[in-house]
Amino acid sequence: MRTWYRNLDYVSILLWIALVCVGLVALYSSTHGQASEYLLDSVRQNFNRQALWVFICAAGICIALLLPVRFYQNIAYPLYILSLLLLLFALVWGQEVNGAKSWLRIGGFQFQVSEFAKLGTLMAVSALLSTKRPGTNELNYAFYVTMLIMAPVVLILLQNDAGTALIFMSTIPFLLYWSGISLNRVLVLIVPALTAYLTIVYMPAAIVFSIVFIIYLVLRKSRVLVLVMSAVTNIGAIVMVKFALEFVLKPHHIARLVSFTNPEAPEYRYSVGFHLVQSKAAIGSGGLWGKGFLQGTQTQGAYVPEQTTDFVFSVIGEEFGFAGAILVLVLFAFLLIRFISMGSHIKHPFGNTFVVGVVAFYLAHIFFNIGMTTGILPVIGIPLPFLSYGGSALLTETAMLACVLNFYMRRDDFSIYGY
Amino acid sequence: MEDNRTKTRVIIVTIILTIGVLGARLGQLQLIDATAYSGETRSMAVREKRVTPARGAIYDRTGRLMVDNEFTYTVTITPRYFDESKITLLADLLEVSDTLVVRKLNEAKAWSSFRPSRSFPEVPFHIFSKLQENFYALPGVSYEEEQKRRYLTDAHATHILGYTREISAGQLEQMEEAGYRQGDLVGKSGLERSYEDFMRGTYGSELSMVNVHGMEVGSYLEGEANIPPTSGYDLHLTIDSKLQALAESLFVNKRGAAVAIDPNNGEILAMVSVPDLNPDIFARSMSSADWYALTSHKSKPMFNRATMSMMPPGSTWKPFMALMALQEGIVTPDQKIYCGGGHPIGKGKRFRCLGVHGYTDVRTAILKSCNTYFFEVMRRMDVNTFKKYANAFGFGTRITSDVGEQLPGLIPDSSYYNRTYPRGWTVGYSMNLGVGQGDMGVTAMQLAQYIGAVSTSGRLTTPHLVRALHQDEVDSTHVPQIDPSKRVDIDPAYFAVVRESMQQLMSVGGGMHFQIPGVPSAGKTGTAQAPGDREDHSLFVMFAPFDKPQIAIGVLVENGGFGGRQAGPIASLMAEQYLTGEIADTPGRRWLMQRILTELKSESL
Repeated sequence: MRTWYRNLDYVSILLWIALVCVGLVALYSSTHGQASEYLLDSVRQNFNRQALWVFICAAGICIALLLPVRFYQNIAYPLYILSLLLLLFALVWGQEVNGAKSWLRIGGFQFQVSEFAKLGTLMAVSALLSTKRPGTNELNYAFYVTMLIMAPVVLILLQNDAGTALIFMSTIPFLLYWSGISLNRVLVLIVPALTAYLTIVYMPAAIVFSIVFIIYLVLRKSRVLVLVMSAVTNIGAIVMVKFALEFVLKPHHIARLVSFTNPEAPEYRYSVGFHLVQSKAAIGSGGLWGKGFLQGTQTQGAYVPEQTTDFVFSVIGEEFGFAGAILVLVLFAFLLIRFISMGSHIKHPFGNTFVVGVVAFYLAHIFFNIGMTTGILPVIGIPLPFLSYGGSALLTETAMLACVLNFYMRRDDFSIYGY
Repeated sequence: MEDNRTKTRVIIVTIILTIGVLGARLGQLQLIDATAYSGETRSMAVREKRVTPARGAIYDRTGRLMVDNEFTYTVTITPRYFDESKITLLADLLEVSDTLVVRKLNEAKAWSSFRPSRSFPEVPFHIFSKLQENFYALPGVSYEEEQKRRYLTDAHATHILGYTREISAGQLEQMEEAGYRQGDLVGKSGLERSYEDFMRGTYGSELSMVNVHGMEVGSYLEGEANIPPTSGYDLHLTIDSKLQALAESLFVNKRGAAVAIDPNNGEILAMVSVPDLNPDIFARSMSSADWYALTSHKSKPMFNRATMSMMPPGSTWKPFMALMALQEGIVTPDQKIYCGGGHPIGKGKRFRCLGVHGYTDVRTAILKSCNTYFFEVMRRMDVNTFKKYANAFGFGTRITSDVGEQLPGLIPDSSYYNRTYPRGWTVGYSMNLGVGQGDMGVTAMQLAQYIGAVSTSGRLTTPHLVRALHQDEVDSTHVPQIDPSKRVDIDPAYFAVVRESMQQLMSVGGGMHFQIPGVPSAGKTGTAQAPGDREDHSLFVMFAPFDKPQIAIGVLVENGGFGGRQAGPIASLMAEQYLTGEIADTPGRRWLMQRILTELKSESL
């Protein structure tokens, strides 16, 4: 008989340690460099606080590993309900940080409830899909899954935190695909979003992209209904984006949305484009090998706003160059692929759905964060998992990782059909 | 489960694609466009501070340091970091009032909160050093170091050295490509200007990191990319600073100029132009009103009389006339011309002599300074030939040399007379030239050059001020290109005749009472009519020692009267100082010195 820890995936733990350490190095550089005395006190302490959080998280992993899978299955819905309640509380009594009313203060301790909601939502979706029996209508489940995710999304949007809402929504295609919706249908869902993005960047590309996708659907002999739906949603996306940019959105919203395509333009350079100009300059000037630890002129000069939190990747890009930045990407890729393959060993749908959801959350974070710091996406405040400063985020991300480790380790403890 | 395996693959592909897109974007930014972004961050985040090199020092011919640099300190305030409770402390240390500090602080705030404002310029060193000990208690207070010229000898030598000033806007526009920046010092006249390129040195640079507020927050690359400045070349002058100082002091209460050269090589030993200024005033900041007062004063202290003031040479011209006449065969050494107290042309009025010399040969004519003799010589002379000889001695021309500001003077020829007197002119117009009067003008430097050529029997040297330039750090020496000596095409035998006459003038003639004790010398007095009722200008040329000349001097004193009265003694004292290193303590010399130093000459303007 194998002892329980034999199944512990040490590779994932090592990857977690590596990523957390890279984050600490970047935080150290941006808070303890030669110019640190000119930084705000609150920023200077970010490294120490994050280091403390890392220890708390490490302890959290241990505790999470000790709990049986049954426990997680049992708390899934209560956790989800709690998440929604907390989101509501935050909406009423919350603290506003960077324009988003998403922080709750309990005692002397502040935390971002939308982070906690990620975990709760994922648990609930996993619990829901684990009740699915073969032969049931997949579209019903797809609808329920979407509803489970959209409930917190609405609350988060009300908190004025579009970035986090976007992350939640990004997981929907993954979870639906995993629940049994065909790839084509999922693509029909995703493609309008891509078309909308391309419309902002360069409209002809959006049109070409839509046409190519519809041709693809025709070649795959999709049903007429799907074809029509896809054509309508794509054209709709283009028209809506254009319409919104022309008539609905206020100039400062438009600037936020489109400035990433040309942040250096004089009208953006010192306002909404400032983050991006500085971040791109930091990353670009890093070159192949970077300027060296504590040697980044942008980092040390605190040019990139939020360089300990959402823009931490610019520190790595500047001081460790292409080599360092790619290393981070490779670490992430390894971790995600590792998770997916671990998930495929968990036969129970609660476990493997959760793993897919975790991967979707991580991937969305990574894509939106690095996409934003490198200037291919609009600036939306999303942290980089494990690297950005932030206790709530690190704790949530680590909790997800710990659950994945636990479910993989105890994959044989799941009841054969526990529903 | 077959189904899940496919889904797993699809998700893995999605992961790889997504991260691949990000990787590609990183490659674009960091590998392809990296250079452009590097430039951008450097211009934003790295500030280059220019480090001023030490401007070349100036030494005299004996190796004595005449000019070097000293630091001045400007105390700066960065308002954002200044602790306002320290206003009193700062005021006490600077020895100024609290209200002044408050005012400077407000001015600084109005300019920038994050950048250091230059609030207190030229803080004296003793105050600065006290302040420096207290910088730790004064956040936001710092300093900048600047250089200014420091003059170390008694000699002013203003017109030789010239001066440096902050570069003007107009000059900056022209010289920006040569690496000049706002606030740089640049040589504006004299040697400071002639050798600007050498003395300036090469600017270094210090790179520091600047944060998003524009504050300097540390060194860039720990100083590895800094470039140290290279000091400028030091100037080693031909000037003897003691001789220069003495000569300047001898001109007390007078206006005029004196130039002494080494006739063997043209090295200028002293060059005086009075009135002058203490060059130190140029090293300090000066209001534009003061500057205007200085440059527009009617005594023209900025004007180099030694090389720019045109004056008729008077009788100092006669040795030249004699040499020309002998060479041209107009007279022979023994041929006599009758002097009855004036020349017959001009009804005895315009062409008077100082005495009745009877039959006079060339030796007597020089010794007694007989005007009639030289009027007659000039009457027989073609004015164009006259000009050719004058030019051969360096008159009427500008020399190619490091002597900055010069004027060529005036030597007329027939075309000049045609131009000036369009209704016609006769020989009477040019006869005045024979005694160094009339339509002609020379400078003190030209007189020294000319008498140097006489002393060496025809070697015309090019007066110059710099022997060599040397840069100690790289041990590099530059020797300025000076025009080589030229020969004046006159028979040495004729030179001998003229030199003897000049020597007689010093030993038994009019220069007897100021001859140099123990050193045989040769000289010639000159008295030039001043316009109006003013007293005549006093001139003198001399060289010494007679056998082996080492110094040739031209002196002119405005309104100094007879040449032997002022200019002669000054030249004699200068020569003695240079040749013996001191003024002999004899009653005659003491009396001479006292008289020169106390007599008020040069009428008010």
